[in-house]
Amino acid sequence: VKYVDEFRDAALGRTLAAEILGAVEPGRHLKIMEVCGGHTHSIYKYGVDDLLPTNVELVHGPGCPVCVIPMGRVDDGIAIAREPGVILTCFGDMMRVPGSDGTLLEAKAEGADVRMVYSPLDALRIAKSEPDREVVFFAIGFETTAPSTALTLKRAKAEGITNFSCFCNHVTIVPPLRALLDSPDLRLDGFIGPGHVSTVVGARPLEFIPADYGKPVVVSGFEPVDILQSVLMILRQLGEGRCEVENQYKRVVPYEGNLRALEIMAEVFALRPHFEWRGLGFISHSGLRLSDAYADLDAERRFAVPGVRVADPKACQCGEVLKGVIKPYECKVFGSACTPERPIGTCMVSSEGACAAYYNYGRFAREREVV
Amino acid sequence: MLVLAVDESRCLALCEDGTGAHGSVEIALVAPVAAGDTLLVHAGTALTRLQDAVA
Repeated sequence: VKYVDEFRDAALGRTLAAEILGAVEPGRHLKIMEVCGGHTHSIYKYGVDDLLPTNVELVHGPGCPVCVIPMGRVDDGIAIAREPGVILTCFGDMMRVPGSDGTLLEAKAEGADVRMVYSPLDALRIAKSEPDREVVFFAIGFETTAPSTALTLKRAKAEGITNFSCFCNHVTIVPPLRALLDSPDLRLDGFIGPGHVSTVVGARPLEFIPADYGKPVVVSGFEPVDILQSVLMILRQLGEGRCEVENQYKRVVPYEGNLRALEIMAEVFALRPHFEWRGLGFISHSGLRLSDAYADLDAERRFAVPGVRVADPKACQCGEVLKGVIKPYECKVFGSACTPERPIGTCMVSSEGACAAYYNYGRFAREREVV
Repeated sequence: MLVLAVDESRCLALCEDGTGAHGSVEIALVAPVAAGDTLLVHAGTALTRLQDAVA
């Protein structure tokens, strides 16, 4: 497949691995955070970390949309789903995220009308075909997904569809990165920047990382060759004493982003004063709500939403995994009480979650090491 | 995804993914597009058109 096969070329991967070995400073342990859950998935799926020298460590970041949703917001979604006449629509992995009293999938089994969709436009189609029902879209995701929600809300307004609304849980990538960089728990040497978020926001919003914190950033594609090349670019910056934002993913990411998407998002959304992130707590100006112009399509205004903060289960260490403080396999319940089939924490739910990715791919390599 | 046909009036394109599956994609953020273009699609919406020159 064009744009895919050439970036999975094993020979090219080995060449890059050899160049990385030559570029890394011996004896210096480097920690590079991949921000995006898509990168985490690829790293484990293709064994990218096995190709790196032992003193280059990849640390998994908070960029998995499902993983950062706190339990209280899941409870709010379930409460909306249980309202009479409501069809609650959401992406498939969101259905399995545990709240304090079960998941949306369990609520569906108990009689709530919860339906999986692939895009918010699918939810709008359901609203058009079921005009006597209230259709709510449970919106999650970073700036990659937010434009799709925004366009759908614009369509709903333009077409006068009044039985459609949005339970908005969109978040933005820069505030949690700043929170991580301010955290005393973590020492990082560089960042593999989020490829698809940058398609929308561009690479410029990441410039604060080299400017304010002195760390290099390389916006990266998601194939194994992309990630290896990005690691090499970070090592070269470190070796040459440079510190800047570079764009490895130029075939997709314009440095200025998608201005049309940013305009539409600015029209449809407004920043919340603060928003809770699983494991990271409340972060200022990190979550989106519907703007006043779209308030009539805001499910939080249309329905009674509990809005209660719920602490994570004590056994779950998703917070530390999301901050890169521990590896998935270091969590007390990883692979025993918490598996993809019966997840306790969000990181085990989505394929982009570090725990699920590690469970599905990485644990086999580790089992070989242990044996 | 590969663009097969475009409905400009509705800002939609019929696209084919790598497995041969077809789907309707919102193209308001990347229009104008033409049959034969390759789009990066997320949650049913095209976010960018892939560029051969820098691929």
